[in-house]
Amino acid sequence: MIRLENVTKQYGTETVAVRDVSFDVTKGDFVFLVGPSGSGKSTILRLINRQERPERGEVWVAGRNINELADSRVPHLRRTMGNVFQDYKLLLNKTVFENVAFALEVIGKPRHVISRQVPLVLELVGLAGKEDRFPNQLSGGEQQRVSIARAFVNRPLILLADEPTGNLDPATGEGIMALLDEINRTGTTVVMATHDHRVVNAMRRRVIQLDRGVVVRDQERGVYE
Amino acid sequence: MIARITYALRETWASFRRNLTLTAAAVLTSAIALLLVGTTLLIQRAFENLLVQWRGDVEMIVFVRSDASPDQIAFVDSSIRQADTIVDVEKLQYLDKTQTYEEAKRIFIGDPVTLSLLTPENIPSQFKVVPLTEDPALVRSLSEQFRSLPGVEDVALAEDEFQVISTLSQFIRVVTLVMSIVLLIVAVGLIWNTIRTAMFARRREIEVMKLVGATNWFIRIPFMLEGLLQGLLGALAACGGLWVLNSAWTNGVAGFKPGTGISSLIVPSGFLSGVMLSMLILGAIVGAVGSAIAASRFLDV
Repeated sequence: MIRLENVTKQYGTETVAVRDVSFDVTKGDFVFLVGPSGSGKSTILRLINRQERPERGEVWVAGRNINELADSRVPHLRRTMGNVFQDYKLLLNKTVFENVAFALEVIGKPRHVISRQVPLVLELVGLAGKEDRFPNQLSGGEQQRVSIARAFVNRPLILLADEPTGNLDPATGEGIMALLDEINRTGTTVVMATHDHRVVNAMRRRVIQLDRGVVVRDQERGVYE
Repeated sequence: MIARITYALRETWASFRRNLTLTAAAVLTSAIALLLVGTTLLIQRAFENLLVQWRGDVEMIVFVRSDASPDQIAFVDSSIRQADTIVDVEKLQYLDKTQTYEEAKRIFIGDPVTLSLLTPENIPSQFKVVPLTEDPALVRSLSEQFRSLPGVEDVALAEDEFQVISTLSQFIRVVTLVMSIVLLIVAVGLIWNTIRTAMFARRREIEVMKLVGATNWFIRIPFMLEGLLQGLLGALAACGGLWVLNSAWTNGVAGFKPGTGISSLIVPSGFLSGVMLSMLILGAIVGAVGSAIAASRFLDV
């Protein structure tokens, strides 16, 4: 599903964010990218959704080398993946329903699809009944659920999560992890960058550890260390 | 498809209202710029009425009485041709009574009283004389000779009548043209800035849109429509302003004493609608250009 081959990404001439990274993620996997801040976790996510392009190496997603993808095809690539962020990136002037519907609206889905899909996904993330709230009327955990709903409403092949529990207390974080696990069980590949020891150790999934842009460990059913 | 169109229109309108002050500034500037363009075109056209007699370097007009016999007209013609050291015989032009009457319709467009007194029968015919010489004194002395020929009613010299106005209209044309070009550029810049600000205000939304896979055109179009709308609104305001100006001018001119020349400084309404249409098109172009630059330049927020 995702393959990185000897990928190097640098910012400017000095800073090397990712150095010669290679790994393979098969369909339906759940992968943690772990490591301290600045180790290159977020950069790898940004390489996968083509917000960045590598200086060297190839990034393959769903059988296509996405570095060779024309700019005009990038939106279609992104429709196959959902993104979840530490800071949720919700639109504060829109309700829960509108935030999720927005993701379908801007890719041109007709209204009847939107009015069917959005309630389903809100039910899935446990926000049924809160459709008309605004983001700042919700707790952090609930806001993250909205953002997961938005990422998942289009049934993507891949879910990319960048520190999704970073702003949440442990109990709330656990709830979010349970939700990501549930989404993973529907067949969605999940790649999650985190430096949260507890969630990694509790899940016992594949762990790719980075240090200053280099992969130092790639372990099935791993822990954080 | 319908979902996309409603989305674009809804977003355009929402953004339009959100940035009301900036939008007002952009609309107002385009309106003033376009009003100036329109006024320039009208002034030019009005002066053309006034100068229609003197087109093509004509500096002397010999008016022949309406009751002159064909022999007298032939004699005037040959007299003018004899002065071939001063007169450009090649360019000598004779307008008979019908042609002169057609010309008079434009000169007296704002002076229906005088025009109603003229008919193709009682109007003089005319010779239009283009001199070879640059020396006005020579032309003047020649005009004195022609004035005494049988059948000649009067001789008019450009120097006495419209030289000043012709120069003035040239000058006004250049000044207003430069001013309107500058103002149009300012209008493009202001629309560009408004759209840029609108995009900056919504950068979070744009970021989310890009991440969920909205195409660049989908993101751009509401902003471009917004700019287009601003240009068009400016043009509409300018059309209104121009109409008011023109009506006030036309009414004012009607009060002038007939035959003063000022009365020919008005334009037919067909020309006015033509000018308004070109203002609307120009306004749309200004808006589209300004917002297109902004939308393509600032999409990576």
